[in-house]
Amino acid sequence: MWETISLVTASRFLGAGLAIGFGAIGAALGEGYAAGLANEALSYRPLKSGDVLKNMLVGQAIAESAAIFALVIAILLIFGGGEPEHAILAWPAIGSGLAMGLSAIGSGIGAGLPAGAVCVGIVRQPASANKTLTTMLIGSAVCQTPAIFGMVIAFLLLFLDFSQLPLYPGWATLLGAGLATGIAAIGPGVGNGLTAMEGVTGVARNPGTYNDTNRTMLVGLGIAQSTAIYGFLVSLMLLFQTVEPNSALVASMAPLGAACAAGFGGIGPGMGIGYVGASAVRWVARRPTATATLTRTMLVGMAVTESTAIYALIVALLLLIVV
Amino acid sequence: MEDLTYVPQLTFEILGVHLVFNTMTILMTWIVMGILIVFGILARHKIGIIPNPFQVVAELFVKAFYDLTEDALGPDLAKGYFPLICSLFMFLLLCNWLGVIPYLHEPTKDLNTPLSLGILGFVIAHYSGIRAKGFGTYAKEYCEPIFFMAPLNVIGEIAKVVSISFRLYGNIMGGSIIILVVSHLVYSLVLPPLLLMFFGLFVGTIQAFVFTMLTLVYISLQVK
Repeated sequence: MWETISLVTASRFLGAGLAIGFGAIGAALGEGYAAGLANEALSYRPLKSGDVLKNMLVGQAIAESAAIFALVIAILLIFGGGEPEHAILAWPAIGSGLAMGLSAIGSGIGAGLPAGAVCVGIVRQPASANKTLTTMLIGSAVCQTPAIFGMVIAFLLLFLDFSQLPLYPGWATLLGAGLATGIAAIGPGVGNGLTAMEGVTGVARNPGTYNDTNRTMLVGLGIAQSTAIYGFLVSLMLLFQTVEPNSALVASMAPLGAACAAGFGGIGPGMGIGYVGASAVRWVARRPTATATLTRTMLVGMAVTESTAIYALIVALLLLIVV
Repeated sequence: MEDLTYVPQLTFEILGVHLVFNTMTILMTWIVMGILIVFGILARHKIGIIPNPFQVVAELFVKAFYDLTEDALGPDLAKGYFPLICSLFMFLLLCNWLGVIPYLHEPTKDLNTPLSLGILGFVIAHYSGIRAKGFGTYAKEYCEPIFFMAPLNVIGEIAKVVSISFRLYGNIMGGSIIILVVSHLVYSLVLPPLLLMFFGLFVGTIQAFVFTMLTLVYISLQVK
């Protein structure tokens, strides 16, 4: 039988591993995609190698920030521990690692896509490199939002005091709080990346539509994040609800089930809404006179795509409040 | 590090009602409102063909947001809704930028501020929807495609308030947490100003714009 202190310390190490392990997946994929497109761009216009390299590095630096968030959490988990005396404190560490690590996957991949598009874009339209770069900066920064939600939950799990929480079902609410935001953030991160990539490509193709394209892109990005926000909401509810001691299996499975519902329910709609946004932004850039019609169709399509995420949210809230 | 989730509060018992005031949020909101009012007075002061610097900034805001509102709602409705949209953006922008100044905090870091602005937008959007279409048409839209989808449509509308306000809250809260923690880790050397520029100024501007645009889009969806 392990003593409590070593159990808690061990779980902090496990949480650190989960945070940076999962967190390294997305950023690396996204940066690799950006570097690949930079190569493609240079094969068209080798003389632009300086500009392309500069833009590629800027884009990759932003794509990496999700992994850096995960690194900060991992370091805090390894070095931040005191002398824990309650076995319950093992679970916030694992939950925190899962929240940060999983949520960094989507944002990392997503922020890499516009970084790749900007390399091709400035080669296609060198005169409007500044507009293309600005669009990329806005798009990639908004792509980080799901990872920021994961980071908020990870910090709350790390720094709130859970020592008075009953072990059963407290372990499930803490683990669930991490899982809900972490898994729900995967889809919106990738979906945001798709939309932002088309925004950058569109501005590079038709710089005159800079305002229309950016506005449509931001609305699309904002709505694509909704499912990550539902996961964030469920996590906050799990963290701040009052937990009565109850060692029955049902009491532990209800929060875990709610977390899985909100988490997995958010993956598909996040990517799907991102795809709707990507198409709308692409065609706004090509036919700016139809912006109003395209935006309305985009919003209706997004609302329908989002309905499955709302079913998942309803099940999660039922599990949290009714059961 | 302990002040991560600390909120200074004043609690009162008045007539058996338990009232809680988040003093820091209220104080910071008043500072933002004060700055905006002073800015408005200065912009109006000695208004003329050769504008003073404040008038230039104010005209930039007015022009940009009038065009946005006109694109979304059409020229007839734009006059009515434009003041709301423009002042919402200016308020949120200053709120998100306020954390850059030492000892001041973003009011949007407290969930109450974004949530109340989200509910404000929700009520205005639905009120304008009922006024533009009549209650019958408005209510019938909830029964699309079939009548028993109505509860889901209602939840979908409420989910919009949740998503619009938690998006702002999560971003600003996340930014201020990472600034706090990283400053603590590096003993406030080198990194914090760069982080403040990214999370405070850049993300703050984008999120203020996203919030305003979504409010405008939700109104235009209801009106048309």
